[in-house]
This record gives sequence, structure tokens and C-alpha cells, in this order.
Amino acid sequence: MVTLGQYLIVSGLLFTIGFAGVLLRRNIIIIFMSLELMLNAANLSLVAFSRFRLGVDGMPNYNAQVFVFFIITVAAAEVAVGLAIIVALYRARQTTHVEDINSLKF
Amino acid sequence: MNYLELLKLAAPEAVVAVTALVVLALGLARGRVAGICSAAAAAGLLFAMAAVVMLPPNATLFGGMHVITPLTSLFKTICLTLAFFTVILARSDRSARNQGEYLALLLLATIGLMLLVGSEELLMIFIGLELTGLSLYVMAGFDKTDPRSAEAGLKYFLFGSTASAFTLFGLSLVYGMCGTTGLAAIGGKLDAIPVQPLLAAGIVMTLIGFAFKIAAAPFHLWAPDAYQGAPVASAAFIASGSKVASFVVLGKIVLVGFAPAQGSAAWHGLIAGWAPVLAALAALSIVVGNLVALAQSNVRRLLAYSAVAHAGYTLLGLVAGGRDGFGATLFYTTVYAFTLVGAFGVVALVRRETGGDDLTHFRALRSRSPLLAGCMAIFMLSLAGLPPLAGFFGKFYLFSAALRTGANHGLLWLVALALFGSLISLYYYLAVLKAIFVEEPSPATTQLLNDPRPTRTSPSSDFLERISLAVLALVVLFLGVLPGGLVTLIVGALP
Repeated sequence: MVTLGQYLIVSGLLFTIGFAGVLLRRNIIIIFMSLELMLNAANLSLVAFSRFRLGVDGMPNYNAQVFVFFIITVAAAEVAVGLAIIVALYRARQTTHVEDINSLKF
Repeated sequence: MNYLELLKLAAPEAVVAVTALVVLALGLARGRVAGICSAAAAAGLLFAMAAVVMLPPNATLFGGMHVITPLTSLFKTICLTLAFFTVILARSDRSARNQGEYLALLLLATIGLMLLVGSEELLMIFIGLELTGLSLYVMAGFDKTDPRSAEAGLKYFLFGSTASAFTLFGLSLVYGMCGTTGLAAIGGKLDAIPVQPLLAAGIVMTLIGFAFKIAAAPFHLWAPDAYQGAPVASAAFIASGSKVASFVVLGKIVLVGFAPAQGSAAWHGLIAGWAPVLAALAALSIVVGNLVALAQSNVRRLLAYSAVAHAGYTLLGLVAGGRDGFGATLFYTTVYAFTLVGAFGVVALVRRETGGDDLTHFRALRSRSPLLAGCMAIFMLSLAGLPPLAGFFGKFYLFSAALRTGANHGLLWLVALALFGSLISLYYYLAVLKAIFVEEPSPATTQLLNDPRPTRTSPSSDFLERISLAVLALVVLFLGVLPGGLVTLIVGALP
């Protein structure tokens, strides 16, 4: 039997891996994938909480599951916008590496 | 609850949504449709303002997902007004093609702001944040002719999405600990249960996400690039509308949802909670923003770093908490938003005339256009907080609210830091005014201005922009001389 704590540990790990990817990776596409991982960490913890925190009638709290559907949809929209921006940048610069994107600085 | 009733209560949002679709369709037509699109968007925003006035004073839909109170109606009107001025500003961007799409995105972002302001439920707040964010990312990267615009869009996108992920993860933990997504219900639960580590992590992560949105140091790194690289109208809207709504919803989250976990940031009476976290963010923002702004030579970048400092001042009200503090925060962020839209408007017109927005491009603006120079003087002095302008009263209100909280003037350290920061800020605001009023024009600018290129538009075509800038300057002056009206409105609307 998997407990709530174990789900939360996995979710925390996913979030940490995602954030580390955003900070450390140099390729925008990979950074982008790491971002999605962070969103999915939130999804996992929401569903786990919903499943384990039963209401007085013994039913799961469905608010969180609806929340997850919205997050999935929003994440898809975010992919569309993000990829569009990356394509626009690639057309201007012919690169997807963050080190090359440095025309605006202090 | 039937759908007709729902439509009635969500009429302002519905009007803006329909306008966005109409503008998008109009933009598809061939030929020069930019003017028609702007007119349609402006008319839609005016209609939406009328719809806000027609709303009933109090209503709650779906357990707080859509709330109508005097406060939400007031801030919906403010967001619509800011969008209206941004639409006028967007006309002057000569590089913007596909005006219809641009304005449709602006209107969608406005809907996001309205949802954000009018919601007391985590799911709806998340949707509002994302709708605003996604529209603004595209608006920041909209200018395809300028590679810096795409770069600004990308940086804003990466930082903004990371911030949303933080907020979302934080909210999921808060939900898990409280078992509900309504802010008032969360407040009630937090009252009953002790704060556990997981809950504390959730609260801190939520705050970090919002610190990104309001550009508080050390999460401000996107702001200078986005303000400088994005089209001017987008930058103006990012700096004004998005900030106002973020402060409103941040205030609601901490003062309604997390109220029992406030703690205290007083010098000798530090109590763990969100207040010390916000106080640390505020202090760091004031120091970093003001010091780095000193070294800037680009006006938009300078405004961005000063925005970081102003986010710090504004947080003071939330740290103080209570009706007084929240009211001060709301007043200050409103005044700041109007001032900044005006300042960006001047930047847009200078940029159109001279092709750039460095301090050198502002030289001798007084002789080229006394009206713009006068407006910029009012905006800059208001940002610096000199009486009798609105910025002075806003700061006075904020600082006195912070001083009154708690025993023994516990927040005196933060107020002293903020006063010191304002003193520093005077230097760089006056540097802009010195370029405008004292310095001689640089040879390159003179040459550019004397050379009548075909791309330069005649002065008469920006008549509307100039009028709206003058109106904004008058508003800033008026709110400084007679702040009572707006203060009564805000404080009266607070629960």
C-alpha cells in the first residue's frame, strides 16, 4: 500500500528535478521540459491529497481532481505559447542555447 | 442559478471577451485596419466599464470563484482603464504589424486581470494568473522585426512559468493541508490547526511565485529585460495592469487566506509567519532596486529597476497588514500604475521620434515638445515621491500605516530603509529630468530629427497619445492634491 507520504516524496522529487533542470540546463527546449515536470509535480500532489483526504461521507475531495484537469489544459496552452516564442527567437538568432541569448543585459 | 444570471454577473468579462474576438476578426481584413481595431478595442473597454457599473454591489458565485464586492468592481474598473490607455499607447508603435492580434491579446490579458481581481478561490486565481501570463508573454515577444523583443518574451516566459509552477506547487500543499480551495475556508482551517512544516513550505512557495510576478528582489531578474526589450505598450501593461492585479490578489491571499499565519516583522518581536518573509523581500527590493537603478543609462531599464524598488515600498502595506495597510498598498499600486503607464507613453513617443530610449535620446526634449517634457517631469517627480504629486501622498499613507502597526513602532526599521531608498531614487529620477531640461541634444539625435525620413509620422497623428498623456499627468497631480476621493473609495470598499 502506497501512503500519502510516499506520493508526496515523489512529487517533491519531481519538483526538485524540474527546478534543477530549469536552473542548470543550457538548452531552452530542455528547460522547457523541466518546467512541465514542475507542473506535473503539483498535479501528482493534488491527486494524492484528493485520494487520501477523504471527506466525512468517505468520498475523495473532487475539487483537486478538477483542478488537475485545468492544470493539464493550461500546461498544453503554455507549451503552445512557449514553443512559439522559442521559434520566434530561433528565427532571429539561429540558436536555442541560453548563453547565446545575451543582447539584453545590465 | 441559471446561465442567464451567470452571464449577468460576469457581464464585464463577457463584453471584453466578445470584443477580443471581434477585434481579432477585424484584424484579418485586408488593408489598413489598425485604426478600426484600436477604436473597437477602446469601445469594448468602455462598454465593459459601463457593465461593471451596472453590477449588483455584492454577489458570490460557486463558493467564491467569482465574487462581486465594491472592491472587485473598483479594481476591475482600474484594470479596464489601464488597458484603455495601453490601447491608445499601442497605436504609436509603428513596428507593430497585425494590430488586431496584438489588441486581442491585450484584451485577453485584461480578462485574466479581471478574473484575478474578482476571485477568492485558488483554482480561479490560478486560471487568471495563467491567462494574464500567457497573453503577456506573447505580447512581450510580439515585435518580429526586433530580435530583442523575442529575447524579452523568452526571458519573461521562462521566469513567469517557473513562478507559476512555484505558486501552483505551493497552492497544492496548502490545499492538501486545509482540504479546501476557498480562501476564507483556508483562513478558517489555518486558525484551527497548528502550522506544520509542509504548510509552511506551501505558504513560502506561494509567496515566492507572487514575488516573481510583482518583480520583488531577488526574483526580479526578468523585469529589466522584459521592460527594455518588449514593445513599449506591452511593457507598460506588464508594469501596470499585471502589477495592480497581482498586488490585489496577493493581498487577498495573505490577509484572508493566510491571515492566521501572519507572524510579525517587528524589530525586537520577530514572530515566524509570512510577514517576516514579505518584509525581507521588501527590504531587499528597496536596496537592490534603488542601487542598481543608479547605474542605468536606458530609461526603460531604469524604470524597471525603480519598479523593483516600488514593489518593495508597496509590500510595506501588506507587511503591516490590516485594513489600513491593505488600503495603503492598494492606493499606492494604483497611483504607481497610472504614473508608469504615463512614463512609458512618453518613452513610446520619444522612441518614435528618435528611434531609441536611452537617456541621450531624451536630451533637450523640452525644446522639441514642451508638453511631453512637462508630463515626464510630473511622472518622474511623482515616482520620486515629491509633494504635491500622488506619489508623495501614496508613500506617506504607506509609511504611516506601517508605523502605526504593532506596539513600539516595530516596523520603524523597514520604514527608515524605505525613506532612505526614496532619497536615493531622487538621484536617478532627476537624472532623467536633467537630460530633458538641461542637457543639449546629442549630435546624432539632432541629425536624425533634421532628416525627414518617410517612416517618421507627422506630429498630428499622435494627437490622441499626447492628450491621453496630459490626462494621466493631470490624474497624478489631482490624486496628489486631493487624494481623499480614491482613499475613501478604497477603504470604504475593503471588507
